[in-house]
Amino acid sequence: MSADVISVPIDVYRFDPAQDRAPRYQRYTLDLPRHTPVLSALLKIRTDLDPSLSLRYSCRSSICGSCAMVINSKSRLACQTPVGPEVERYGRIVIDPMRNLPVLRDLVVEMAPFWGRYRKLEPHLIPDPNHPMPEGRENPMTPAEVERFKTTPRCIACGSCYSACPAVEHDPEFPGPMALAKLYRFVVDPRDGAHQDRLVRIQAEGLWLCLRCHLCTESCPKEVAPSERIRDLKEMAIAVQGATEHGSRHAVGFKDNIRDRGLLNELKLVRQTYNPLEALAQLPQGLKIARKKPETLRGPRTIEGQAEVEALYEALDDPKEAP
Amino acid sequence: MKLAYYPGCVAQESGRELDQSTRWVAQRLGIELVEFPSFSCCGSGFVDEANSTLNVALNARNLSLAEKAGLDLLTICSTCQGMLSLANHRLKDPAVRTRVDPALAKIGVAYRGTTRVKHLLEVVTRDIGVEAVRAKVTRPLRGLKVGAFYGCHLLRPSGEVGTESPEEPRSFEALIEALGATPVLYRGRVMCCGFPILFVREGTANRIAATQIDDARAHGADALATPCPLCHISLDSFQNKAEKAVGHSLDMPIFHLPQLIGLALGATPEELGLPRHLVATDAALAKIGQVGVPA
Repeated sequence: MSADVISVPIDVYRFDPAQDRAPRYQRYTLDLPRHTPVLSALLKIRTDLDPSLSLRYSCRSSICGSCAMVINSKSRLACQTPVGPEVERYGRIVIDPMRNLPVLRDLVVEMAPFWGRYRKLEPHLIPDPNHPMPEGRENPMTPAEVERFKTTPRCIACGSCYSACPAVEHDPEFPGPMALAKLYRFVVDPRDGAHQDRLVRIQAEGLWLCLRCHLCTESCPKEVAPSERIRDLKEMAIAVQGATEHGSRHAVGFKDNIRDRGLLNELKLVRQTYNPLEALAQLPQGLKIARKKPETLRGPRTIEGQAEVEALYEALDDPKEAP
Repeated sequence: MKLAYYPGCVAQESGRELDQSTRWVAQRLGIELVEFPSFSCCGSGFVDEANSTLNVALNARNLSLAEKAGLDLLTICSTCQGMLSLANHRLKDPAVRTRVDPALAKIGVAYRGTTRVKHLLEVVTRDIGVEAVRAKVTRPLRGLKVGAFYGCHLLRPSGEVGTESPEEPRSFEALIEALGATPVLYRGRVMCCGFPILFVREGTANRIAATQIDDARAHGADALATPCPLCHISLDSFQNKAEKAVGHSLDMPIFHLPQLIGLALGATPEELGLPRHLVATDAALAKIGQVGVPA
């Protein structure tokens, strides 16, 4: 065995809903050069050891986005993940299908829910009637305009972020990181005529369910940083429409809250986020907490140098100035 | 070791037991906490969503206070750690500087960008070192199985704020082991606690918290410990709601990081503010031969 070749134990998730009562892991052990991509290892298993293994793949070059799966607990592309570091770090490679999507067979998942949440956001150019598309030729953008897309054109829609996202997992209304990153791309497109409508709509349709846990950004094979673009969308939505939802009322309320004393007034924030009826519904839990933690009712001290904080708000928190 | 102490809002209000236990532990570990009564809130991620430029400016002011004193800044909250680190990161961007610096100049602040932001977990495990902590343990937490719950902003985005692997962090587990307890590895330890949407969609937030607690329980945890008071709110203060959301009992004691250290260093439950928790810690304390305090 050459020095570069290592023994690679791979535990692959196997499940055929038509035949199996429950999923199982099947162990395959291969001798492979360290740099071998996990995808090549899986294809070798299929060719040499077990033709029944099902998986999706196409380009093998991190372009098509077909081979996203969960490798040692992390959602990522099999073609972009070499076996060596995985074996050195974890002693083996455990491969599961993407999370948050139904398994069709082995590593192949049903992508329809992923695309369904995406399509709801109308991810296509809605031309601006005031700026009609030029007839019979391209509608070019300047390099500065292209810059505004930031990281979003890199997205290959592989679904890694969707698989990693706890908001997707726990709330069917959350569009998903990829869908929101794509939405951002249309919101900043100078040729799109629906910027404001898109922001108004998304503010009411799940934008504020993002947990900003950044798991999407960690899992993205193309460094799209969806969580950063979602943050941008939130700030833009507030700028065009103000705070209309619990999420935006909480964010704007929080900002206004700490202006007074420099520290958070927890009780006041409840009133800033909820309407009186909703605040009343929170009362029993609030009292339960206050019984143990009475400071909650008292509010914070005012920091020294509060005037400096006030001055920063004066300089930078002009509500008329859109980001 | 002298550090600029940044307790954050929660530790000064509803989570005072965190401040209390931090002070107890800092004294035993030789950390001098330098007080800065002029530190303001970090914005907790919410101000960043409402006005990102203002958020960077507020944190640049905080960072400048430590810089002026020539001290590294100590946080005891994963979210404060994340927000202050993020400000440091964003301030490297000249475009951000162009907007923030003139406002800072108006209040006589010029931040050069040299303040290092360190969470207590990092200070204890890297600067002091787990072996030095082990040597100070007077009451090993033998028999207690503890799941670390890191809190997102201590780990991610790893390119901007993290100091260890965002998928496989091990510093907290190494500390738990040094304190005599058994660390429990489970998927939820690096996941979200649900707190950011507790006021947006409470049911979803509660289910997320319950998922992580159930996961820890399934892997054998008797208790969780967290370096983030916001996770503590979601996992402890709202655990009753999480139970309702999933329809079964969770009954999982949640320790703040310095409370767990304090227990192993001989502090009483009262000295660590354990009676302030909403979920009783008795069962966990009984495992290490401590008489608990009823909740």
